[in-house]
Amino acid sequence: MAELIEFPRRAASAAAARVGTAVVEPLRAVWPAFSVDDFGRDPHFISAMAPLFRLRWDVSVGGLHHLPARTGALLVCNVRRWSLGNVYAALALSEALDRPVRFVGRPDIAPVSSVMRRLGGLLAQPADVLGALRHHELVLVSASPTAHPRHAGTVPHELVGPAVVAGVPVFPVATMSSAVGRSARAEVGPRVRLRHKRRGPLAEVELAEQVQQHLQRMLDVFGGVQTGVAPIDWLAEG
Amino acid sequence: MRSVRLPTSNIPVVRGQRVLVSGMGSELGSLVAAKLETEPWVGRLVGIDVDPPRRRLRTAEFHLLHPSQRERIVDVVTKFNPHVVINLSIWEPDARAGLAQARQFTADAATAIIGAAAECPALESMVVRSGLEVYGRGRNSPTRPDENSALHPTSEYGRMLADVERQAREVGRRVKIAVGKLRLAPVLGKHVPSPLGRLLRQPIVPYSLLADAPFAVIEDGDAARAFVAAAACRLDTPVNIVAPGAITALQAILRGHRMPLPLVGPEWWAAGKLSHVLGAPIPEHVIELMHRGRLADGAKAQELLGFVPALTTPNVIDHLYAWESVVRIGSISSSIEGVA
Repeated sequence: MAELIEFPRRAASAAAARVGTAVVEPLRAVWPAFSVDDFGRDPHFISAMAPLFRLRWDVSVGGLHHLPARTGALLVCNVRRWSLGNVYAALALSEALDRPVRFVGRPDIAPVSSVMRRLGGLLAQPADVLGALRHHELVLVSASPTAHPRHAGTVPHELVGPAVVAGVPVFPVATMSSAVGRSARAEVGPRVRLRHKRRGPLAEVELAEQVQQHLQRMLDVFGGVQTGVAPIDWLAEG
Repeated sequence: MRSVRLPTSNIPVVRGQRVLVSGMGSELGSLVAAKLETEPWVGRLVGIDVDPPRRRLRTAEFHLLHPSQRERIVDVVTKFNPHVVINLSIWEPDARAGLAQARQFTADAATAIIGAAAECPALESMVVRSGLEVYGRGRNSPTRPDENSALHPTSEYGRMLADVERQAREVGRRVKIAVGKLRLAPVLGKHVPSPLGRLLRQPIVPYSLLADAPFAVIEDGDAARAFVAAAACRLDTPVNIVAPGAITALQAILRGHRMPLPLVGPEWWAAGKLSHVLGAPIPEHVIELMHRGRLADGAKAQELLGFVPALTTPNVIDHLYAWESVVRIGSISSSIEGVA
């Protein structure tokens, strides 16, 4: 019996493999071959895009001590129309907390969905939110967008419901950004607790309303936009 | 008969159980059978398949039967009168058979095996193989579906699996037995005939440039352990079996040192045809995986079965690429002696 069994390798495939290795090696050097997590978020992609985000937003973050260190929580933020408030708030909070914060509201059409998923985006579906909360993730849901930067829109109770089901705390996150400048802010408020114990679906409806009220109070305390140029501040005030 | 306690459960299981494995000839079926032979609660073990087992089995009895031989299958199953039936007779399209044959074989086998099992008075439990394809990847479908997610299969393979699940559920309800459904992520292994594995091991591998969606897989050995655990604890619910972590097609290609071929859309058709000619057909559900990804929540498997996959998704991909072209006789004989 021979000491060695050698399966024949086709010359063409061997040559293609060599070319493949030559093509792939430079790519491997700049892009790790394993960087997506269980939900498709890609920390390497985020760090690669970070300079671009910093070019657009300079986010100051506050109130992080309210958030749990390891367990899951639902965060609810306000957003001004077209401001991508949920995206910059999630990225800034992730960086400040050194743990992923996933934002809700990625579209499901390539290539936008692919990019948003890499940034930590989830679909605006209760099942997606619940799945992440059950895995002790921080999930950021946005209220409906408003034209005025200091108005909190309606908080979708169907996306707050998963927090009630999973038994995780809910925190308001007030966001504000300038339409023309880089300055932006994301402030986490204290946990919102239900005034009345509810066993049914009223819990999520009332919780969503309370979160909206908390957000509005936080935005009122923020004050208006201060760019240093009065006409721009007046315009931003709507 | 004496009873034993399973390491993962406090439920005592009676020794000497009769177990029937349908699909024992496949790589997964042979692995399940080999693992069942070492289980203290398994008494007799009988297998049915169209191909002989791919491993040396010491105590299992094997019947070489085609799925269309329903009367013979019913005869073998009812005479054996098993306590547990594990149905692995699922033909993934373009794995061992083309789509039309895979559909026919799977339907025939499901009718014969599940139907015959229902006639067995001793039957207590049935475990059927299913897949994550049953959830479908339509627009706005959940990123990581759990077992409670609705079934909306969007590929032919997904519909085949959903049909097998439905048949098993109906029989379970009618004859009042536990029916466990293991929804496996794409099963990969060095010797598993998988269209995804075959595609990823090509020298030039196409991937979706615009989507490059993440997916999860499971190693064949881990999948086999899950079946044994499900049979032992009389699983009565669907469970996702997924290796932790995720990977995208491009990342898998980079790990395997293959040449990536970015595709945008219409050229997938041409790439599929060319790949078919070259011996690695790309079925509909694999194209769906490349475009829309395939993730799932596997937490319930640990909760119910105490099952934790040994390999993560990137590890499984590494194992897939670690298929040696040179096998030294010495290493084979020493490994056989080690096992003996």
